[in-house]
Amino acid sequence: MPAPKHSPATFNIPLGPVHVALEEPVYFDLQVDGEIIRGATLHSGHVHRGMENLAQHRNLIMNQTLTERVCSLCSNSHAFTYAMVVENALGIGVPERAHYLRTLTEEIKRVASHLFNLAIQAHLCGFESLFMHTMELREIFQDVKESLYGNRMNLAFNCIGGTKFDLDDECFGFLDESINKFMPAYKELMDIFETDPLICARIKGVGLLPKEDAVRLGVVGPVARGSGLAIDVRKETPYAAYGKVDFDVVVRDGCDLYARTCVRLHEVIESIRIIRQVMRDIPQGEVRTHMNKIFPAQAIARSEAPRGEVIYYIRTNHTEIPERLKWRVPSYMNWEALGVMLRDAKIADAALITNTIDPCVSCTER
Amino acid sequence: MASFLNVLLQNLISGPATDPFPFGETFTPKRIRGRIVVDPGRCLGCGMCRHVCAAGAIHLQKDSKGWTITIWQDSCCLCRSCVTYCPMNAMSIDPDWHSAHAEEDKFKRIEQHTISYEPCARCGTPMRVMALDKARELYADDADVDPEEIRHLCRSCRQMSDAENSTVCVLRSDINTAQQEGRD
Repeated sequence: MPAPKHSPATFNIPLGPVHVALEEPVYFDLQVDGEIIRGATLHSGHVHRGMENLAQHRNLIMNQTLTERVCSLCSNSHAFTYAMVVENALGIGVPERAHYLRTLTEEIKRVASHLFNLAIQAHLCGFESLFMHTMELREIFQDVKESLYGNRMNLAFNCIGGTKFDLDDECFGFLDESINKFMPAYKELMDIFETDPLICARIKGVGLLPKEDAVRLGVVGPVARGSGLAIDVRKETPYAAYGKVDFDVVVRDGCDLYARTCVRLHEVIESIRIIRQVMRDIPQGEVRTHMNKIFPAQAIARSEAPRGEVIYYIRTNHTEIPERLKWRVPSYMNWEALGVMLRDAKIADAALITNTIDPCVSCTER
Repeated sequence: MASFLNVLLQNLISGPATDPFPFGETFTPKRIRGRIVVDPGRCLGCGMCRHVCAAGAIHLQKDSKGWTITIWQDSCCLCRSCVTYCPMNAMSIDPDWHSAHAEEDKFKRIEQHTISYEPCARCGTPMRVMALDKARELYADDADVDPEEIRHLCRSCRQMSDAENSTVCVLRSDINTAQQEGRD
């Protein structure tokens, strides 16, 4: 947003680029009046890795691994959406079991990602023991990922035409056991986040993003749903097995940090609901169809990552190296909302407000 | 506030949540991706693993006697593509995740196998002997073919032998297209 005219009492302070909220670099130039922020200019580009260009020099299968490394917390969403866009372009049908497995994986990643964001929020509120406790609970899901997929962050589960491997009954047994261990502790944690006076004092009424601004800026994901916009790609255009499972879109109209926290807290519950339904309904069968032919085509695919809508675009030619691969990530849309949220906020809340959009700088700058 | 005091109390009773590693055991699931291993008995040297490797960790050097397959463990990003796309199931993942090593050992952490050609049982051309279970799998529908015998034949002798011995001629559609593509 444009900086107001500087009065003698106004001065600029730099915030970042190191450790604004997460360990991801972004630099803010804050125009402050006393301790109130009057304007913010955002400078990014510290972690640009030229990934779109890299993708145009590697074959379709190598790009599966590359896209998984765009971001760490929503790594599976990128690999998944990339697999979908190639399948859309080349007309590859995915087996039913793979659809369910992909849905399951997405939701496991979503739970871990939301818990991470909530933990960082507790840390930024200065509530270190709650931060530790949230991370400890998240560890249950990290162990699930490690046991089912073999790694804590990059699951390497999706491939073009389905999934790279299958999950057996032992995996589902471990997942079920972990969820049963997780749920009672999580209910307790939810209660703390929603009612604790220390947390509420820091987040209620702070970082306001009115619904009109949310619509104008086109924000996505929990940021939009915290401002009363019921948008969720999983409901609008169901992909994978989302059309066959029952879940609710969590919407809050508080427009503040508290509303967005509640959205994330309740989305974890919805994700667990989806995971349980997938475990109950998953059909037997193959998990992968082969890619037979590559021809010139273009396609898009979109999915709901933990931070919001991810869109992939691909244009292929006769070779196995794509002519163009392009993606738009949710943080790119949500960045602009920071200008609105930071206006008239206190400097002390700047990091907390930045964290509320669950910023993913490495996605945005790739 | 009271609810968090409850959590603190429980944590005090249950003790530390962290594993005592390196002084004790840590959580190591069966499926953990530790490092890639190659089964030299199955590798056909087709190069599919190298073709799909996003990290460029696989090196394949061929000469008239055979080939050497090398996997650079420090380059490997454990994305599992080689395991998925290897047509012979020669690649697998070992759950041994202990990869800490001294700086001077960084180029020594490799998985390397040299595989030699053997002469074809019929014409003597240097060729790679197929793994027995793969030969059984490929010729499962054809009772006239002895997998043990046919796996020692080169490609052209295999085709000849097939044509001579087979009473049923199974022409799969994908064989036809594969040959056409080969000619292109």
